[in-house]
Amino acid sequence: MWGMLDIPTSGMIAQRTRLEAIASNVANQNAILDADGNYSPYKRRAAEFAAGDPSAGTEAGRKMGVHVASIWIDENAVRAKWDPSSPFADANGNIMVPDIDPIAEQVNAMAAARGYEANVAAAEALKATMAQALRLLA
Amino acid sequence: MTMINQLTNAGALPALEMTMRFAAQRQRLAAHNIANIETPNFIQKDVSVEGFQAMLDEAVRERRGRTGGMHGALAWEETNEIRATESGRMTIVPSSSAGSGVLTHDRNNRDLERLMQTLAESTSAFRTAADLYRSQSMILQMAISERV
Repeated sequence: MWGMLDIPTSGMIAQRTRLEAIASNVANQNAILDADGNYSPYKRRAAEFAAGDPSAGTEAGRKMGVHVASIWIDENAVRAKWDPSSPFADANGNIMVPDIDPIAEQVNAMAAARGYEANVAAAEALKATMAQALRLLA
Repeated sequence: MTMINQLTNAGALPALEMTMRFAAQRQRLAAHNIANIETPNFIQKDVSVEGFQAMLDEAVRERRGRTGGMHGALAWEETNEIRATESGRMTIVPSSSAGSGVLTHDRNNRDLERLMQTLAESTSAFRTAADLYRSQSMILQMAISERV
């Protein structure tokens, strides 16, 4: 009984983290400065999933489930934009801006949200199964 | 008194009682963590279920060796998270981390999904143990009412 929800919970946490990375990409799609105000275009992030969940409370939960192994930063996700009036423009009048496709990010966000919902449904199903088994026992 | 003790210590009742005690206290701990979900610098704590189950397993094994397993109190050992109060009752001292390894900007390691999991599992474990306890004590009650 303890640990029965380890697997769907790990899925929810992973999908939520993925959604946070997507939200960060959408929010920063026009950010050309870093947190300290230096010229450094934002590069898109993606959550990388790996099997198993080291933070689970039980042995079975650690073997199964999913976790975010790392947040991958796409170093090549910048593109040149012609903006000669910008103080950061190079000799050709170009600045580098984040190469983020809002449509792809929206689709990924929908997939992450559906993935989260699927894990909630799995958790509810497990709880219902436990309740059924209890009705037989006691 | 010995007879009363033998009734309340019959079969799985002592192990069920400990499970209920543990589940209730872990549920209270989860409620405490949820109450402090936005408290700055609050570190979410938990108790290890694996630690509790290992302790209970050892106690049940010991009782089986001592009395054959059908009656007798559980002589359980304290662990670093599960202690005895002065009256000998079980109490939990949470020291494991309950949240994610990541601190948010307010230095709170909250993890809502994990908290909800703890709450749902503790509720479920308590209900299961309580229902099994009730059905066992109903059997005892039936046996007693046949006698008087």
